[in-house]
Amino acid sequence: MPIIVNLDVMMARRKMSLNELSEKVELTLSNLSILKTGKAKAIRFSTLEAICKALDCQPADILEYAEENEN
Amino acid sequence: MMSRTNNFVFWALYIVAWIIFVGLSIEAGGLIVNFFFSLFKPEFVQNLYQKLDLSEMYKQSRLAFFGIYCFILSISILKACLFYIVIHLMHKMDLSKPFNSFVSRQILMISYFTLSIGLLSLVARQLAKALLNYGFVTHDLNQFWADGEAFILMGAVVYIIATIFKKGVDLQVENDLTV
Repeated sequence: MPIIVNLDVMMARRKMSLNELSEKVELTLSNLSILKTGKAKAIRFSTLEAICKALDCQPADILEYAEENEN
Repeated sequence: MMSRTNNFVFWALYIVAWIIFVGLSIEAGGLIVNFFFSLFKPEFVQNLYQKLDLSEMYKQSRLAFFGIYCFILSISILKACLFYIVIHLMHKMDLSKPFNSFVSRQILMISYFTLSIGLLSLVARQLAKALLNYGFVTHDLNQFWADGEAFILMGAVVYIIATIFKKGVDLQVENDLTV
């Protein structure tokens, strides 16, 4: 998928673990893992809002668009 | 959660499907044995399953004999396969979480098998009718393709259900992967 999730980068910048983020945004570890590994098909605005609040960042810091390489 | 009545109906259908599958397998096996006996030992056919004796047809025209037998065997084997898929589906299906790709694929397979049986039955019936004009006796064979229209109707309905179910599974997957 051409949408890249940079959640792990932001978590590393804020020095926050997955468990800590999971508690702050009230998402299960498995759901956060789905998001982190790029397996998610959609993200709710409420989830995005909670993650941005917890990591003190903008949506663009977490999501990035990259042209898909056909090869 | 399924109610107790639904659970009872499901298990009753499961048992009925098993009984029908065993019956159809015996029928298909019997017809295959009949086929080989009518080729190599036609005199024994009188004592065999359903006494399906097409040795006269074999003497008159081999093409008609193999054509008719091909239809009879295909239809009975397809019916046995259809019920195998049904019991496989009922055995593996988790009633608390039925929306998955396995169930969707099996329902689609059921519709393909049902439609094939229906279409083959219709073609076979027309062939048997045409053979009547050439002096062949095909009245006894009507039992093998009596319910062609019913199979086509059922196949079409199951196909529609399978298509809707597939869409439901896609939505379920999308919902599961929405965080």
